[in-house]
Amino acid sequence: MFRFLHSSDLHLGKRFGNLAEDLRGRLREARHGSIERLAARARENGADVVLLAGDTFDTETPTPDIRRQAIAEMSRHAPLRWVILPGNHDSLQAAPLWAALRAGLPENVILATEAQPLTLAPGVALLPAPCTTRRPGRDLSEWMDTAATPDDTIRIGLAHGPVQSFSEETLASDILAPDRARRAGLDYLALGDWHGAVAIDARTRYSGTPEPDRFKHDEPGRALVVSIESPRAEPVVTAVETGLFAWKTTTLDLLPTDDCEAALAAILPPAHLRRHALLRIAASGRAGIAGRTALVAAIADAAPDYALLELDETGLSTECDATDLDRIDRSGALRDAAETLLAQAGDESRAEVDREVARGALVRLFSYCATASS
Amino acid sequence: MKITALRLFNVKRFAGRGVAIEDIGDGVNVLCAANEFGKSTSFEALHALFFQAHTGQPKDVKRLQPYSGGNPVVEADIQTEKGRYRLAKQFIGGRRATVTDLGSGRLVAQADEAENFIAGLTRGGTAGPSGLLWVRQGITGIEDRDKREEEDERRVRASLLESVQGEVEAVTGGRRMAEVSARCAEELGRLVTATGRPKVGGPYDTALAEQRRLAAEDARLTADVAALRKDLDDRAGAARHLKDLDDPAERDARRAALEKAQAALDAAKVHGEALRSAQAELAHARGRRDATRRELDTFRGALAKASLLAVQVATAEQARDAALVRHRAAMDEIARADAETQIAETEEKQARDLLARLDAALKAKDHAERLAALATKLETVEALRMELEGAEAALASLAVPAKTVDRLQDLEIEIAGLAALETARQPKLGIVYEPGAIARVTLDGQVLDDGEERGFADSARLDIPGIGMMTLRTSRPAGDNDALRKAKAERDGLLAGLGAENLPEVRRREADAQRATVEIERLRAGIKALAPQGLPALREEMARLAAAGPLPLEVKGDPDSARQGVEQAAERVAAARLALREAQPTRGVAENALRGAETSLASLQGERAQVEASLGPLNERAGREQALADEARLADEHAAEAEVRTARLRDAAPDLASAEAAVRRLRSAEESAARQIADLRERIAGLDGTIRARADEAVEEQLQETREALDAANRRVAAFAAEVALLDRLQSTLHAARSAARDLYLKPVMQELRPLLALLFDDLSITFDEKTLLPHRITRGGAEEDVERLSGGTREQLSILTRLAFARLLARDGRPAPVILDDALVYSDDDRIEKMFDALHRQSADQQIIVFSCRQRAFARLGGRALSMIDWKPED
Repeated sequence: MFRFLHSSDLHLGKRFGNLAEDLRGRLREARHGSIERLAARARENGADVVLLAGDTFDTETPTPDIRRQAIAEMSRHAPLRWVILPGNHDSLQAAPLWAALRAGLPENVILATEAQPLTLAPGVALLPAPCTTRRPGRDLSEWMDTAATPDDTIRIGLAHGPVQSFSEETLASDILAPDRARRAGLDYLALGDWHGAVAIDARTRYSGTPEPDRFKHDEPGRALVVSIESPRAEPVVTAVETGLFAWKTTTLDLLPTDDCEAALAAILPPAHLRRHALLRIAASGRAGIAGRTALVAAIADAAPDYALLELDETGLSTECDATDLDRIDRSGALRDAAETLLAQAGDESRAEVDREVARGALVRLFSYCATASS
Repeated sequence: MKITALRLFNVKRFAGRGVAIEDIGDGVNVLCAANEFGKSTSFEALHALFFQAHTGQPKDVKRLQPYSGGNPVVEADIQTEKGRYRLAKQFIGGRRATVTDLGSGRLVAQADEAENFIAGLTRGGTAGPSGLLWVRQGITGIEDRDKREEEDERRVRASLLESVQGEVEAVTGGRRMAEVSARCAEELGRLVTATGRPKVGGPYDTALAEQRRLAAEDARLTADVAALRKDLDDRAGAARHLKDLDDPAERDARRAALEKAQAALDAAKVHGEALRSAQAELAHARGRRDATRRELDTFRGALAKASLLAVQVATAEQARDAALVRHRAAMDEIARADAETQIAETEEKQARDLLARLDAALKAKDHAERLAALATKLETVEALRMELEGAEAALASLAVPAKTVDRLQDLEIEIAGLAALETARQPKLGIVYEPGAIARVTLDGQVLDDGEERGFADSARLDIPGIGMMTLRTSRPAGDNDALRKAKAERDGLLAGLGAENLPEVRRREADAQRATVEIERLRAGIKALAPQGLPALREEMARLAAAGPLPLEVKGDPDSARQGVEQAAERVAAARLALREAQPTRGVAENALRGAETSLASLQGERAQVEASLGPLNERAGREQALADEARLADEHAAEAEVRTARLRDAAPDLASAEAAVRRLRSAEESAARQIADLRERIAGLDGTIRARADEAVEEQLQETREALDAANRRVAAFAAEVALLDRLQSTLHAARSAARDLYLKPVMQELRPLLALLFDDLSITFDEKTLLPHRITRGGAEEDVERLSGGTREQLSILTRLAFARLLARDGRPAPVILDDALVYSDDDRIEKMFDALHRQSADQQIIVFSCRQRAFARLGGRALSMIDWKPED
């Protein structure tokens, strides 16, 4: 019985340049913190080795502080062992990185930089497929098919890359064979690259990143606890949560008649979870001018609770009725202007961009009138 | 409303009196009067009636009061659609206001009610907008005016427009619109300038700047990262290359290849060496072969030559022997001739000796004779010589130089002359004796004879017998006779030198010398004839003859026969010599032939000796020839063998050049590998340095960060652009809506105004100010101008036309109102005034217009009803 923790894509040192300054720092720190959380999950689940399937570092040339602090943190959790596989972001092409890592490497950290069997424990062989370059242009796991190990050995493959073109950075020739586990007689193939957890088959899985870094996958950071009873026994895999920050996209489907504020309030998480939440409200459907104005105001009002709260209005169309216009003015020049804009917004012959401008102008006119003193 | 009459009392200059303007009718009414006639006072009074509360005492009211005080009274008759009224007000003292219905004479209202009635007429009031439209002197309707009045007028205009077109605010959006527009403009202004460019320092501009900064940063970092990636790739490549190069197997392979090539090269060199020595051997064998062949050939040639020479030598010997015989014969012949010659010569010699001895004897005899003759001659000459010497000695004592003689001669003459002169010069003494006197006077001792005159020198002593002695002295200077003395001294000297007494003696001596000389000549000639060479030569000849004289011989024989014998002997000698000469050539030919034969023989013999010597002893010659032939054959064989061996070696020779090239190539490959290894290590170290530096700068992270930030900045810029577009759209829409509303609102008055404008101006359109409802901008010829900037004339014209338009609008609305113009066209030129008159008349069809003017002449052409002032006093 062999148990280990399968993780990947720590992307240590990632910067998040598109976010606010202080949030960037927190997110970076959270990535570093994922090492400790992985160690905790491993201990809790009785795993004595953590396999990191590539992209431990975000770049081929991480700064010395990122690199050394990461190794120091791993070393702190001895005797828990860490196996680091070069991924496409931190490929072997970055020889100085690996040379630097190799220098002063603590005993409990293993660099899987050679495509040759590594004994993890008696009767347990690890077959790593390190990324030789950013885009190797071939299936690096192929060698596993012919890799000889003693009989009655648990064979665990470790690779980084796409098994189909759903990868983060796709290149057809880099694709790993999805049935590599079967072909190479692997008991388990631990994959990295995809930031969400995916099971290709019973023996082949992407662990996903332990700390999400984008809205795309919309799931919490996790690692996989893998238990293999004996050679050729089907592995038992359990996902454990490791993420600190939650990246979530929540849809808000509206009707013109809806109370937008109430609808928003209904989907927002409880207050104590908000600090570590990056939440994107994807509004869709239709809303009246008043409702829309109120929604924007409500988002602005709630934003300070969150690490990030943003409204994606692209799916939301504005509906304007007589009441909205009456709230601008019942007659006269303002009303005329509002009707002109409304007509432009609904004028199919105009370009969408132009109509969008007209819609925005109308909403703005509305908000001005709503707050006008007279 | 129309005004039909105006009356005033105790107003301003009309202190204590009043005037009335009656019968003001429809259309144009003109009160044209000179200044200070009360025209303006009337206007002000009318104005006060309508606009000043009777209870008030503001400045305008105070101004109505004459200096003398009193209470101004103003009244006007008006006609409205409701009836005819008289409005009256008294100000300051006894204040009152009344409205009387003229039809019924009933007091309709008074005090505040009357004010309300009046206000209703002017400001709309309950009866709706109505009133008067005033244009005052110099007032263009745009300058500051009395606020209230202005406001009233504005309200008239506004109420009129509202009544026609609805609530102003309702139409234009009013304050709300203004607020919204201002907010829109403010927000837009925060982002962009009036021309739509991002406002410097504004958020949009800042976002753009940030975007630019990030884009630049992105470009920089992209380049950095590209460089980093390239460095990494280069490093990997270099490491791979290094590994390949540094691989031990590779190294060994390189070394083995080099060694193999080196061995091949060495072998090739050894082979080359062998070939070279074989070639040397071959050359040697060939040389030897050629030498032996040559030797054999030479030997054989010598043999042949030896036999040939033997024959030739024999022939030559025969020739030589023949020559010898001939030579010997020639020699004999010559010897014989020679002997004959010698004999002849001996005979000739004997003959000649005899002859010679005979001659010698003859000569000795002659000599002795000559010597004797010579001795005789010498004696003669000696004697002559003795005589000559004696003569010459005599001559020497006698000889007087001719010059001395001549000089003596001259001196004698000179002395005689000088003495004569001396005498002549001396003082003279003479005495004549008395006859009979016997005594004789002596001068210097000499008697002076009678009559004798005698001179004396320096002094003279006269002895006069019987008397005494008388001394005479001359005072003549001494030495006066120097010349004479000198001449005498010279003569005496010369004579002394000659040892002569006097000149005649000298002359005698001279003659003796002459004779001696002749004698000497004679002697000398004798000597000369005997001894022409002189005596010494004669003596010498004598001595020579005496010394060389042959001994006297005694030979017998006859010289002539001896001479003949000599001649005959000589003939024989000549004959013998001729014979010998004839024999001589034969000997030469024989000698030459003999020499040629000998030479030829000697040469042949020499040659033969040489050949013989080279051939060696005769008995060994055959053996030697055989040995040489054997040797030549052997040398041939050797050469052939060497040839074969060399050819074999040459054919089998490995290519030394390619072996060397291979070694060179492999060695250079080895060196280049070593160099490359060093270079690669260095390069990797260099790349490590730059990679580390870039890694320390975290360029990749920075790039990613910058890209994300740039992305965000792009979004932000796009959002700003969208915001600008939105606000711009809103602003333009609002502007358009407001403009449209205003146009709509002002449309009626514009409609009225347009024809009036057309009367005065071509192509002029007007924009109204929303607040004052008066023109504030005009457009002329496509250019927009503020009304404030127009000329005074244009402004007042616009002002009047606008009011006319409003008046017309009022009239259309069924509420006609009078237009009152108080010197309103002060700035206008006559041409324009006439046009204005046209406008006024055009308007006056259904409009009351009251014109006050001081420009009588200009306004004479206006036409219309002329008003006049008459005295008036209130009825009270």
